[in-house]
Amino acid sequence: MATEREQTPSGAHAVMPPLARGLLLFVPIALVGNQIGSVLRYPDIGAAVLFPPYAALTAALVVSRRRYWIWYVLAGSLAHLVTHWPHWPLSWVLLADVANIARALTAATLLCWLFGGPPRLDSIRALSLFVVSAVVAAPAVGATIGAANVVLHGAAETYWHPWSAWFVSNALSGLTMLPAFLFAFAYATGWYRFRIERRRAVEASLLTVALGATCAVAFLAGSYWRYPALTLYAPLPVLIWAAVRFGSGGASLALTTVAFAAIWSVDRGTGPFLTVAPDDKVFALQAFALLTTAPVLCLAALATAYRGVVQLYRALLASQQDHVAILDANGVVLEVNDSWRRYAETSDAELFHRVRAGDPYLAACRSAAEHGDATAAGVLAGVTSVLGRARKRFEIEYDQDRDGRREAYTMSVEALERPGGGAVVTRSDVTARRQAQMEIEEQRRELSHLARVAVLGQLSGAIAHEINQPLTAILSNAEAARKLLERQPIDLELLDEIMRDIAADDQRAADVIQRLRALLRRGDRQLQAIDGGELVGEVLALAHTELITRHVSATAVVEPALPSFVGDRVQLQQVLLNLVLNGCEAMSAAAASDRRLVLTAGADAAGNVCFAVRDCGTGIPPELIERLFEPFVTTKPDGLGLGLSISQTIVAAHGGRLWAENNAAGGATLHCLLPSRRTSQPTALPVLAAASGR
Amino acid sequence: MSATRRATIAIVDDDASVRVSLRRLCEVFGLSATAYASGRELLESLDGEASRTDCLLLDAHMPEMNGLELQRHLVMRGVHIPTIICTAGDAPAASAHGAATDVVEYLRKPVSAADLLAAIERALRGREPSP
Repeated sequence: MATEREQTPSGAHAVMPPLARGLLLFVPIALVGNQIGSVLRYPDIGAAVLFPPYAALTAALVVSRRRYWIWYVLAGSLAHLVTHWPHWPLSWVLLADVANIARALTAATLLCWLFGGPPRLDSIRALSLFVVSAVVAAPAVGATIGAANVVLHGAAETYWHPWSAWFVSNALSGLTMLPAFLFAFAYATGWYRFRIERRRAVEASLLTVALGATCAVAFLAGSYWRYPALTLYAPLPVLIWAAVRFGSGGASLALTTVAFAAIWSVDRGTGPFLTVAPDDKVFALQAFALLTTAPVLCLAALATAYRGVVQLYRALLASQQDHVAILDANGVVLEVNDSWRRYAETSDAELFHRVRAGDPYLAACRSAAEHGDATAAGVLAGVTSVLGRARKRFEIEYDQDRDGRREAYTMSVEALERPGGGAVVTRSDVTARRQAQMEIEEQRRELSHLARVAVLGQLSGAIAHEINQPLTAILSNAEAARKLLERQPIDLELLDEIMRDIAADDQRAADVIQRLRALLRRGDRQLQAIDGGELVGEVLALAHTELITRHVSATAVVEPALPSFVGDRVQLQQVLLNLVLNGCEAMSAAAASDRRLVLTAGADAAGNVCFAVRDCGTGIPPELIERLFEPFVTTKPDGLGLGLSISQTIVAAHGGRLWAENNAAGGATLHCLLPSRRTSQPTALPVLAAASGR
Repeated sequence: MSATRRATIAIVDDDASVRVSLRRLCEVFGLSATAYASGRELLESLDGEASRTDCLLLDAHMPEMNGLELQRHLVMRGVHIPTIICTAGDAPAASAHGAATDVVEYLRKPVSAADLLAAIERALRGREPSP
């Protein structure tokens, strides 16, 4: 295909016709246009009622490449010359042609500059720009030269009379015909790109027939009727039809037809203009053309703009992956998008989820709610409150079984901000998102568990010691008892004492194991009220042997009447244990007598509980102090750098904060702040939230 | 073992139930036993009656001063008593077995009566003057 594509300044791809095809179309139009322009003119000054060559040349230039413009200008000049010479003097014809060329070039240049190609008359603003360039500026340029020509040849006494005649003639040509010619050029040179629906073609044919019939009534039959002026209105409904359904191109074609029918009727001596005085006929025709064209083109621009808005709205609706339904103020479905429609057709969800355009959504919800559907009841309440303007937005989450699979949806209802009210219902399938969230939570739980296992690995020697101590006592006591039983008389009092001790040591070993089991537990977060002092005691008990082994003397300072807070006991033990062991590690190079660790629990003014683990170690390098809680950041030679990062995650999930600072007297203090029961809502936090708690 | 008097064992363990049970075991098996909660306590009591202790049974893990440290203290003071170290965790590193100490045995907790008594017997035999 010989079509070339070029980037227009506006960025849109415009198809520009090749020169041969453009000229093939332009030359006959120019020849016929010049003939038609000659049909009815002002006497003496050469200005026509309407001058088609202006519209034809401008349209050809606007749709063509700029380097072809010279060929269209030459062809237009030739057509002008052939038509008017030698009926008119050559100098007259040539100067008039200069005026024609200047006018068309002005219009084409302005339109290309303002619209970046053929203008789209789809708004009042676009129409105004079009009028300023092609209906005011360009005809004014042409009239200035054309009127000078008339005066130079002595055909008029004043400059103003021919100027105004030329100006009005071409302004009307631009207004009435240029949109039609632009449309025709674009269509005729790119016809293979247009796909016209059968319905549109039928409608266009009917419109053409109606236009012919009404023109006949207006300009032929009118002369035989009692009020010929009234018949002029006959084509108006058809013009409005063209404007509303076919935009400015179609309206302009119809307007051009009507204008030429009027000119033709005057030329033939029929129609409503018959009664107008001969000298005023041209003015009357021009006034008729202007008064018809201006409102019809405005209507066409508005109709196009409206269609554009509707197309945009439909495109937006169709582009939504979410299911969207639009409700009117009474809760009746106005429209649904493709996603909603597909869901309605394929899903076996409750009926109220599958309403279609025209269905009463509220009634469907009410019916389902009456049959005990909790989701429907929730949606009913939400939609009612949004439609009643009690709230602007409503959201609900629900699960739906589909093909044996549980799907999760969120549904939002948003009020439509418009006088008629209504609402937009948006339903999103969040199954995948929820699945991913659950997997992340599962991984976090797993990581946190592994961190606890790692801490216990670090403590394995200490743990063995703590279990072996009671086992040692039990074994010694048991063997002592057996030996006692060999003697006579049996010292029952001592035996009783031994049995009591065995039972107590057994309990002690069980307690150690119980603590370990809790820490090794792999499971969901269990929230409970926690006493800060108890937590400190438990952590020091867990670390007891390790502290002894490392020669660390640990002191607990617990503020009296500490407020309790809500949290997961095991996870918080893990955090504090981690801080304690880090503190021990930081002091491993210090002299045994300097290895002092202070674990404090206090409360701030807001009732938040603050724990602090203060060591007398080497402190934290300043460049690491901000990044200490990032994964894989560590101050230990063989540390992984995960303990504090995981601790941070745990504390954050409790709505708290973990931070570090170096002490003025050496060593570092790690602070852990947990919000009090009054201010915290740990269950609302997504991180580490229990998956089954949903 | 001396026939004229019962051998005296000094037990040092910070864990009360272990301390009590070990003393009880020794006594039931015919030994004389004293128990101390820390190395410091032992050192204080030894000042007066060092010669009356025949064997030390020390815990390896204790705050302030563990069994080996206590042993070194004694050696520094010129007190030489055959010593058994009991450990509830991992065995002490090889470097801990100093030649200069009087540690004769390492026992891992929990320890059976037979093992304990055998170790004590070996320790006491080492203390008897050689013929």
